[in-house]
Amino acid sequence: MKKWLLGVVVLFLVSSACSSGVDTGSKTGGFLRLAASDFIDSMNPYVGQNDDAYSAYQYIYPYLVQFESKTLDYVPDFATSWETSKDQLTWTFHLAEGAKWSDGQPLTSADVAWSYNTDIKFQDGPTAGSAGSIAHLTKVTTPDDHTAVLHYSQPVPMVLANAQQVAILPEHIWGQYAAGDGKALKTFSNLPATGQPVVSGGPFMVTEFKPDEVAIFEKNPNYYGTPAIIDRFALTYFSNEDAEITAIKTGQLDAIESVPVTSVQTLQDAGVNVFKGPGLTERDFIINSNPNRTTHRELLDPKVREAFEYAIDRQKIVATAWLGYADPAAAVVPPATGDWHDASIQPLPFDLAKANALLDEAGYKKGSDGIRIGLDGPMAYDVLFPGSERGAGDRAFQIIQSDFLQIGVKLTQRPMGGGAVFSLMADDNYKTFDLAMWNWTPPIDPDFVLSVLTCKQYGNWSDSGYCNPAYDNLYAAQGSEMDPQKRLQIVYEMQKMIYNDRPYIMLTYGQTIDAWTPKWDGFVQSVQGLFPFISKESLTQVHQV
Amino acid sequence: MRGADYVIKRTAFALITIFVAITLNFVLFRALPGSAVSDLARVPHATPQLKAALTKEFGLDKPMWEQYLLYLKELTHGNFGVSYVNQQPVWNNLRTALGNTIPMVLLGTLIAMVLGIFTGVVSAWRRGTAVDHASTNLAIAFYAVPTQWLGLVLIIVFAKYLPTYGRTNVYLLAPTFWQHLKDVMIHMLMPSTTLALTLYGEYTLIVRSAMLETLGEDYVLTARAKGLTGWAVVRDHAFRNAMLPTVTLMALSLGYVVAGAILVEAVFSWPGIGRAVYESVFNNDYPMLQGAFLILTLSVVFFNFVADLLYFRLDPRITA
Repeated sequence: MKKWLLGVVVLFLVSSACSSGVDTGSKTGGFLRLAASDFIDSMNPYVGQNDDAYSAYQYIYPYLVQFESKTLDYVPDFATSWETSKDQLTWTFHLAEGAKWSDGQPLTSADVAWSYNTDIKFQDGPTAGSAGSIAHLTKVTTPDDHTAVLHYSQPVPMVLANAQQVAILPEHIWGQYAAGDGKALKTFSNLPATGQPVVSGGPFMVTEFKPDEVAIFEKNPNYYGTPAIIDRFALTYFSNEDAEITAIKTGQLDAIESVPVTSVQTLQDAGVNVFKGPGLTERDFIINSNPNRTTHRELLDPKVREAFEYAIDRQKIVATAWLGYADPAAAVVPPATGDWHDASIQPLPFDLAKANALLDEAGYKKGSDGIRIGLDGPMAYDVLFPGSERGAGDRAFQIIQSDFLQIGVKLTQRPMGGGAVFSLMADDNYKTFDLAMWNWTPPIDPDFVLSVLTCKQYGNWSDSGYCNPAYDNLYAAQGSEMDPQKRLQIVYEMQKMIYNDRPYIMLTYGQTIDAWTPKWDGFVQSVQGLFPFISKESLTQVHQV
Repeated sequence: MRGADYVIKRTAFALITIFVAITLNFVLFRALPGSAVSDLARVPHATPQLKAALTKEFGLDKPMWEQYLLYLKELTHGNFGVSYVNQQPVWNNLRTALGNTIPMVLLGTLIAMVLGIFTGVVSAWRRGTAVDHASTNLAIAFYAVPTQWLGLVLIIVFAKYLPTYGRTNVYLLAPTFWQHLKDVMIHMLMPSTTLALTLYGEYTLIVRSAMLETLGEDYVLTARAKGLTGWAVVRDHAFRNAMLPTVTLMALSLGYVVAGAILVEAVFSWPGIGRAVYESVFNNDYPMLQGAFLILTLSVVFFNFVADLLYFRLDPRITA
């Protein structure tokens, strides 16, 4: 009896020693309950479009490289090192050796080659979504199981940026869908079945997926990298922000990505940790800049555009619409991209007198109702306003609207879906729309956000009708300049050109706002918040306190 | 013979309604500005190739009449098409959403019916008393309250005791059947109650006024004169005759069960058909919208048809 008691005491002492040891560091295991911002629209990487879908792919699939969340440098993911040939046409990636998929099948360079070559083969069809990431890539070869060689037809400076966006898929699962015209690549649902997770190569594998409800990610025992500390996490969809906030306050949730600015204080008061940091989303005031526009041609007058910028009170928009959780913007490449942002570009100060003086000087006299007369009638404009701008964007619009009235310009908000806005802009080739408010959340490499202002993007991603051959030449130059410093200078020059021409008057740079309860720690905060698609760091390092 | 005429007429009418609705479903959503392609393709990775590929894939490059004929042809084969957004068959998407919606909305609707009919009958029976005033005013108050407001109030009040979101506890790994059933019931409690409270008032008011009408009829006086007690008169003589307008309302409510409850689903993050339709409108997901509205049409027409047949049974005057 005494021996038995002694045994219990010893066991108790050992276990309490272990748990006190754990308390000083991180507890392993556990189930993290994370609320989604927009959820996963599809588990199929050829179909999914939402941010949460990209993040899910990041955590279940290998990518050649990833970003280091803080420095935004490229660091190893499935590729442990890489080098480029002298002519810069060949990039060789050395891969982690002995890697396996979650079902035990070998994960090798063959999977890398299959993923890339499939993207190349069907880039005008089913895999068109990743055509931008494989530009000028001709083929991928595999000298051995752990080496993949990417062959380009011309030097491309964004090879690593692109490699960070191409998921490596298991050929033994996906190969059968690439037969014929490859259409089956998009119709394959890639969903888990009971006891059969989605075959994954990343730190997690999806074991359960219910559309618009939940996705469960379990730790992948076969992951080639440093394993996750937690056992599993759930991504849960909320269609009601208030319920989401209530859920984390009452302990029904552990973490939230994209906290609404109006809830920050409530969460802090409830003892929930709230993280704020620079984000990639930027909001802009768009002026139709098509040189061939047929109506309201006064909007092409640089003085009118300058006056508009003087009449926008960014400080008030930040303080009132965003409750301080945003920053005044000027350059089209946001500061969250690191060095790519030209910090020398600063917004004009808010100055209604100066704005009025500029419009007077340009000869636009006020009518009897106080509205100035433009080249064809009063300077009264519709502002196209997509659904994604609702909320804080509405308040920003109201601020701009009341200030513009004071310079004799009348604005009317036209809220509608994003597709409808785009139709009104592009269907008549940017001939008639006047103004709009919209946003971009660009990737870290500036190529994409700079591309949307080129002439080639008419009817595709142009939402400003901007077309300037000098700008297009610079765009082409940055797309082939292999010297990073020289490329950076071209990128700066382009930002200055856009700032001066003002197809966009940049309003605000957003912040990422995430929240988690004090029971958790170790999230790696990035420009995409705590569930990013630029790196696998955050949810492999998160742990219970 | 007259009965057969009536049934044939109602059936023909139902079929014509369905065909007109199918056509309207096609035209209406295409009249919306914007297109699925410009929505789906406004993403960072997008390329001009993507836009061209999507347009071709969705068949949106074909003339409108050809799209319509294809749509009719596929429908006759029972094919609802493929969702533009997740590329899965529309019927699979709708089946999942309907499976989530129907139990919750049906429960809410049934509670509303029982509660509404009961309070309506009691109000009429106790007309002019404090019970009648309290019951009627409460019914009007709940009927007037915005659904989303009531839902949010319930969340705030009961957050500590009841789950505030979702259909199940998604963190319950591998539950047994009974655990799952209990879990679903607990999750349904708040959304179904919200729905029931906002719906029942309509029943109270309609049943009350129908009952008052029948209670004033001569045959009720006769029944009382025969010495029947108050409750027996209500149950056996007034209630059945007061059922006609109530049956119409019940049929309408049941018909709309498959439409889900957009506001309740949004407030309680319920992955149902209402929310699926709402999101499909934003994404210009024509096949999803066509499918969802076709099911709604079929359901409403079916339940109205059932109501028509019930009338025939309940009220012999209809054949006249």
